Amino acid sequence: MSGATTTASETRQVPTYCYNCVAGPDLLKVSVHDGVATHVVPDHGATDVHPAHGRPCVKAYGLVQKTYNPHRVLTPMKRTNPRKGRDEDPGFVPISWDEALDIVCAKLVDIRARGLLDEEGLPRVAATFGHGGTPAHYMGTLPAFLSAWGPIDYSFGSGQGVKCVHSEHLYGEFWHRAFTVCADTVATRYIVSFGSNVEVTGGVCAVRRHADARLRGIKRVQIEPHLSPTAACSAEWVPIKPKTDAAFMLAMVHVLLHEAQRERLDLPFLRDRTASPYLVGPGGWYLRDPACGKPLLWDERTAAAVPFDTPGTVPALEGRYTLAEAVTHGPDGEKTHHNRVEGQPAFGEMVDAMRSYTPEWAAAICDVPAATIRRVTLGYLDNACVGETTVVNGKTLPLRPVAVTLGKTVNNGWGAFECVWARTVLATLVGALEVPGGTLGTTVRLNKPHENRLLSVKPGDDGFLATRFNPTDREHWARRPTGRNAHKTLIPIVGNSPWSQALGPTHLAWMFLREAPPDWPKPTHPEIWFAFRTNPSISFWESAQLTATMATMPFVVCFAYTMDETNHMADVLLPDATDLESTQLTRVGGTKFVEQHWHHQGVALRQPAVAPQGEARDFTWISAELARRCGLIEPYTAAINRGAGFSALKGEGADGATWDFSLRPDQVHDVDTVWDAVCKASTAELTGGRDVKDLAWFKEHGWFVVPFERADWYLTPTMQAKGLRYELPYQERLLRTGIELGRRLHEEGIHWWDTQLTEYQAIPQWHDVPAHWDRAVEATGGKVADYPFWAITTKSMPYTTGNNVGIPLMNEVSGNLRGHGAVTMNAGTAARLGIQPGDWVEVRSTSGATVGRAAPIQGCRPDTIVIPGQYAHWKTPVARELQFPSLNAIAPLRAVSLALTDATGSGADVVRVQVRKVDPPAPVPHAAATAVAQGATA
Amino acid sequence: MTRYVMVADLRRCVGCQTCTAACKEANGTPPGVQWRRVLDLEAGEYPDVSRVFVPTGCQHCDEPPCMEVCPTTATGKRDDGIVTIDYDLCIGCAYCIMACPYEARYKVDERRFAFGAAPTPAERARTAQPIVDVVTKCTFCVDRIDAGLAKGLVPGKDPEATPVCVQSCISGAMRFGDIDDPQSGVSQLLAENRWFRMHESEGTGPGFYYLWDKEAPL
Repeated sequence: MSGATTTASETRQVPTYCYNCVAGPDLLKVSVHDGVATHVVPDHGATDVHPAHGRPCVKAYGLVQKTYNPHRVLTPMKRTNPRKGRDEDPGFVPISWDEALDIVCAKLVDIRARGLLDEEGLPRVAATFGHGGTPAHYMGTLPAFLSAWGPIDYSFGSGQGVKCVHSEHLYGEFWHRAFTVCADTVATRYIVSFGSNVEVTGGVCAVRRHADARLRGIKRVQIEPHLSPTAACSAEWVPIKPKTDAAFMLAMVHVLLHEAQRERLDLPFLRDRTASPYLVGPGGWYLRDPACGKPLLWDERTAAAVPFDTPGTVPALEGRYTLAEAVTHGPDGEKTHHNRVEGQPAFGEMVDAMRSYTPEWAAAICDVPAATIRRVTLGYLDNACVGETTVVNGKTLPLRPVAVTLGKTVNNGWGAFECVWARTVLATLVGALEVPGGTLGTTVRLNKPHENRLLSVKPGDDGFLATRFNPTDREHWARRPTGRNAHKTLIPIVGNSPWSQALGPTHLAWMFLREAPPDWPKPTHPEIWFAFRTNPSISFWESAQLTATMATMPFVVCFAYTMDETNHMADVLLPDATDLESTQLTRVGGTKFVEQHWHHQGVALRQPAVAPQGEARDFTWISAELARRCGLIEPYTAAINRGAGFSALKGEGADGATWDFSLRPDQVHDVDTVWDAVCKASTAELTGGRDVKDLAWFKEHGWFVVPFERADWYLTPTMQAKGLRYELPYQERLLRTGIELGRRLHEEGIHWWDTQLTEYQAIPQWHDVPAHWDRAVEATGGKVADYPFWAITTKSMPYTTGNNVGIPLMNEVSGNLRGHGAVTMNAGTAARLGIQPGDWVEVRSTSGATVGRAAPIQGCRPDTIVIPGQYAHWKTPVARELQFPSLNAIAPLRAVSLALTDATGSGADVVRVQVRKVDPPAPVPHAAATAVAQGATA
Repeated sequence: MTRYVMVADLRRCVGCQTCTAACKEANGTPPGVQWRRVLDLEAGEYPDVSRVFVPTGCQHCDEPPCMEVCPTTATGKRDDGIVTIDYDLCIGCAYCIMACPYEARYKVDERRFAFGAAPTPAERARTAQPIVDVVTKCTFCVDRIDAGLAKGLVPGKDPEATPVCVQSCISGAMRFGDIDDPQSGVSQLLAENRWFRMHESEGTGPGFYYLWDKEAPL
């Protein structure tokens, strides 16, 4: 019930949130007239707390159409045709919720009786959720059910790892608790952006802040193969050849180290906040104190090597020093004692390693003039304000208003390690890492707590952040995978947090199910696969093949919005009450991906603006039913009480106030009871028990926040307070981990991960990154000369996730954007190929072909083709009629994909292609909504 | 006097089409009708290329060509500058559509809905609005302005009295207000920044100003 009274004709404005993409959550209201949602409006009451003034983006305005989509699945359904495949009609028939849950839970109960793990030690239950964790904000208390269940395999992805900023996730969180990275836009003056498309996918908070920054005079140099909306809003566009960004950035490091005066760098930051002074000796290992094992630095004051944390030192950054004795810690506990051993500081190692990476060297690789590379780098240095300070919340902090930001295809796949390393090193060289104006992390997902990354800072070994890698020593290495993507076995840096498996190489799970590498067992199929807010048939590579693999899943339960290309393989469809129809509380504010640094933090409610359509049910009700029918109500409710997905229901404030809104574990609690308890617990937690708001209050007001200090946006003050250093530039830990991993794999006879092992370097070296994709052409029987173009992808704001493809409003407004649903290419290239605007063209790789209308433009490299979005739908209503092309149809998901996978298990949306004009395809007839999908009541 | 104008800051606009969508949803316009839309324009030759996003729609001109050609006086102009269409007088001749140099006017001659032949509940809730066989265009959300003025609110300052596109704009590019009030937000923006108006040479006197620090894209 809202706070408004009901009259004969009533219009209410119902507050809620939108978290349809990772850039959220953002606030909005829904205008409801006599029980019908008519349109979305901003939440102007949030103007002073929401960085975008309470205004959601274009996607939110499609939520009314989403609610009333006549193609929705509005009743549970079951398959009647046992054969699965793209060309098989599933024969879905409507059934009651009772029957649907009986079917699903009978299987779950049977699994519990036989054991949650199969004979291979793999979970019998698998689950896939889409886009960047956002489904968690629409799945009610399902996390509590999943927690109560036990081991679940999350490794069948829908693009995770290869279509996210994967290497940035893993290395960013490792180096500076930065699961994603952004500029401190409110204070930054100069941004070098390699493909980060913040004006499209940065979210409303980022868009508003960057617009304000442009008027303030910020300069952003956008370096990418085509002219995105972000480039349109930048001071300069630099058309770089795809996948050569690492060369550009290594050259930037070279310029700062070899062409700029050393004094212009932030030497105190390098000496005190990084591993730059740590001495490196034989084998590339740190020289360590024989007594305590700590890495040594050379103290210029005493002319002696001392442990890094010795007070009062003036650490040397360069020079070669001879030590009377030291130890090194190699792999597998191999400790070596050295007498009269020479070493140089890690900074000096980096200077040596970067010597040959001149702008002239990079120019030939990147197809960017050396003068541009040099000018951009000096612009970065000139704006860095080394030595300057600013006052934030009464604290004097360094001001370094420069940042380097990276987009997808730069920070995932081969070359990404070099890019994220160089970007972060560039920040350290001028002291711009995690300080006002500089390069900031946003949130953590591999460490806890998620809602405040500063609290995740704990001292680890060697003066660095404590970070738990998956073990690679002989005794503890996960010889046998615990999940079907083998994340613990292959990817040490991904760790083993609840997010780790879904972050692991999720394409490997699909690939191995079909064809495993030599000496690697094909994983078993999960007995049940749950899917929610995900469409891997569309959003993953080599769609046709993945769809066929999906058809081999023995029992699939899809929470269904409309019919789509993935739930075409389902055995049971369950219609969840969607965005404007259900209840959930979510955290807002503080700092989180993508660029959401607020001056407040708190929680926001999603509530039913309208009653659920048809038989769609709230996910919290569904979760409780699953738990009840599986005999898991007690652990399920206990998980809710513990805070699965949100605040614990029992807590204590800093000044001793306590609260306990725990639910009785032996009862089934309805939706409102659960969320009322969560609302109270969340507000108690935010206010130390002083201000408790219930569900009724939230239904009227929508959100509750408390102040969040801007000083807490920055990690460096916390690092300094705890005496910690950033594990940069030298990667001794990665070097050791790589050698150990290689030994473990070779001991098992596994050599198909050897190329990935080469990425474990202490200082990244350039390797011919684009050549990986050339070799992929050859490995799949093609000739590189026959596939002369680089095909990449991009997004538009209406379509940054897949949940909009069935919404006509999104397609209509996107028609104003050039290249929407088309194959974008350079106009000169098009003319040379005899292609006119609007001609149908085929884009073909060695893995497949996709067709679309050509959109020749000037703002694109002649050697690059851009296919925006992820389309080529064949079942999703509305989307299937668009006949838009998709890069996913032509990017491989087969053996060669292993060669295109880097050490973090990441790949990139890049493929070599050929283009030719073709005849138009036959149009897809318009499909009227079916009576079944309209929600015949059970 | 009062003269309402729209100001679009092209330095801010990112082409997201949020205003396009917000306008459609708030006004219930049928598929294909976009009272507010954002153009995506490119200039130059590779590699010296620029791209700019230009919100457009009815410019509520001082000398509206649409009013001049309207045979029924359906198109009128208020004292506050807002150009209006009386749907009861409009005969759908579409002369105004051809006369408008800003391609701001629309006419549909059959009812179509977002998902096809049948309206959604949200579309059904708007059946009172005549949208077939007459010309429609951006109204500067005149209903919101008048209702807001009646409550003592200030259009351009108070969200409830301000056009929906302005209130939805996520980059802060769209602004609205009374250019005859030197203290209004729009007056100050125009005093402090370089601006141009679209097709100035046509002599229409548009009530739509674009803030821009480069050469006018059109």
